[in-house]
Amino acid sequence: MARQTRIITIITVLTISMIGALGYMLFFDKPHIDISDSLPNITLSSNILIHDFESNENKANKKYLEQIIQVTGTITEISNTKNKGIVTLSNEDSLGSIMCHLSPLENKKIKALKKGQNITIKGLCTGYLMDVILIKCSIVD
Amino acid sequence: MKSLYITLLCSALCSTLSYGQGKFLTKQGYTSFFSSSPIEDIKADNNQVLSIIDTSTGTIAISILMKSFMFEKSLMQEHFNENYVESDTYPKATFKGQILNFETLDQNKQTTTIKGAITIHGVTKNIEIKAMMLQSEKSIALKGKFPIKVADFDIKIPSVVINNIAEIVEVSFELDHQLYTK
Repeated sequence: MARQTRIITIITVLTISMIGALGYMLFFDKPHIDISDSLPNITLSSNILIHDFESNENKANKKYLEQIIQVTGTITEISNTKNKGIVTLSNEDSLGSIMCHLSPLENKKIKALKKGQNITIKGLCTGYLMDVILIKCSIVD
Repeated sequence: MKSLYITLLCSALCSTLSYGQGKFLTKQGYTSFFSSSPIEDIKADNNQVLSIIDTSTGTIAISILMKSFMFEKSLMQEHFNENYVESDTYPKATFKGQILNFETLDQNKQTTTIKGAITIHGVTKNIEIKAMMLQSEKSIALKGKFPIKVADFDIKIPSVVINNIAEIVEVSFELDHQLYTK
């Protein structure tokens, strides 16, 4: 009888610790979302995204913050300082623009890009300063 | 008489335009904060800081998106945004200040004092920050660090994790402003 109790205790302890370890892996150590591997929540043109933030920032924040956004527009600036690539999309009839901060993996693709080129980029929206900010961006097309 | 007014108006407009040359700006400034406790060290980086210096007055204005802070663990980032700084309600941190004795500073690398008001989590505090400054005709670089008391900004840390998060967090910054010509 005593032996049986001991076995049951051991099995219970093992099960609990395994559930705990699994829970830790799933919950506490859950990885950051991989943008390049995820489908976008919102797909739109650069004009609409800029316009939405310029006309009502609070409303745009509610709609776009922490969303994966896929945006299509024209490249007006390319910068690559300290190995941090930034592609700026804007249109002629508005002041603002979208600054797409590329993820380190995507950075090597920056050399192939040209000003004036049309591009589709996917990234995480963190807000609006002078420009709409997308981070962890990857080039879709 | 009318033409005189127009001339005056035009010259006034021109002078304000030429003053525009005195603006230095970065849209990709760096800031981080570091919390050290016996249980764990927590660090978060932000590479999307906007900072503008107006050299005609020596004023500096900085805006930071809270959701741009990147943590090593995504759960920490989630807690930071949802529970501590409540970035849905307060999406930005700002600093507005004055670089003291700006007109007397030359192009040597030197320590400067910046005095101003910092706003985090909707709470504004006056603060004095020491920074290393290196300027040229086309750029102004500022670098430094300063401590921030979490409780000063009405940020509540639940008692469960109180030992994981330092009461005083160290904020570092590196802002490489370039002459704004647009």
